[in-house]
Amino acid sequence: MKFKLTLLIALIAFSFSNGQDNKAFNAGEKLTFAASYNMSGILTDVAEVKMETSEMRTSSSTLMHLKCTATTYSDFDSYFKIRDLYESYVNPRTITPYLYNREINEGGYYKYVKYKYNHKTNLVESLIRKKTSKSKTGYWDQNNTVKINSNARDIVATIYKIRTLDIHKAPIGASDSFTVLFDNKMTKTSFKLLGKETINTALGKKECYKLAINVAGNNLLKGNNANLLWLTADQNKVPVYAKFKIAVGSGELKLKSATGLRN
Amino acid sequence: MRKVSIILGLILAVLAVILAVLPLYKLSFIPAALAFVFGVIAFLKSKKEQQSTHVIQVVFLLTIIALALAGYKSIFSVKEVGDTKELQQLERLRKDEAKEELDDLIIID
Repeated sequence: MKFKLTLLIALIAFSFSNGQDNKAFNAGEKLTFAASYNMSGILTDVAEVKMETSEMRTSSSTLMHLKCTATTYSDFDSYFKIRDLYESYVNPRTITPYLYNREINEGGYYKYVKYKYNHKTNLVESLIRKKTSKSKTGYWDQNNTVKINSNARDIVATIYKIRTLDIHKAPIGASDSFTVLFDNKMTKTSFKLLGKETINTALGKKECYKLAINVAGNNLLKGNNANLLWLTADQNKVPVYAKFKIAVGSGELKLKSATGLRN
Repeated sequence: MRKVSIILGLILAVLAVILAVLPLYKLSFIPAALAFVFGVIAFLKSKKEQQSTHVIQVVFLLTIIALALAGYKSIFSVKEVGDTKELQQLERLRKDEAKEELDDLIIID
């Protein structure tokens, strides 16, 4: 009886950890998107967004470096220049983050956020740095320790984590929620599978999972089921298209090129 | 009706020119098309009432300038990312810092 129980627990633990495994992407993947602003059906390309993965070896372990950058096109640079960097260093298998950097330069506004996770104590050492004329260094640092849930992730790790989920097993209408740590606050973000759709992408005509994103208490993203994400319905689950509603008009992210895909 | 059309046409034509100069030039097609419609209405009314069409000609001229500029930009402008040297330097710096900070990390799953 005891042996059977141990075997059952071992089997459950194995299947659970298998479900958490990353089979969607490897180090060396590079996705390039065009971010556009849509008003009355007229699309204007505003910026280029890149999502890259690479391997980082430390003396004791091998981590995956997830990097997202946003850069405005040159004609926008003189009006509103954006140079944003979002990155997360994660466990390549479970996408558990260990270090997160967010450095934004948006039209003269600068902010640097760093999180160092301690998963044993569920604490995050947070640093928020802003520009100020009052200090000699020109920067104002704010150090904090934030208590987090055991499954809380930063925004970059969450985006990649969604790709590792077994969406093919989920029925239409199923939803899953994540806790995202953003600006030292934990935000509940939920994803709902709306169905499958075949759309034209940079990778050709692809069958995709259509997911609706809902961010609790968010004022920036408007509407119900108006923030959508399309992931290819294959093992890679590449984000090919995203649509989000903002106060005036809407925004779009469209995949331009993809290299280094795992499957 | 004639005066209202002229005023609206003029405002929309100026707006179209401003938008055509900015990077959001594609949006200028909307006010330009509306300015053209108001211009035509004002022109027909002026002809009927036998009044001056000088201001209406300005509306058409501005509309043509806006459309020509936005059309030219739509065909010939190439979307490319500007200077990213600073961002690349920053990426390298943050990576070196991360390597140092995570050096003693031991992953336990």
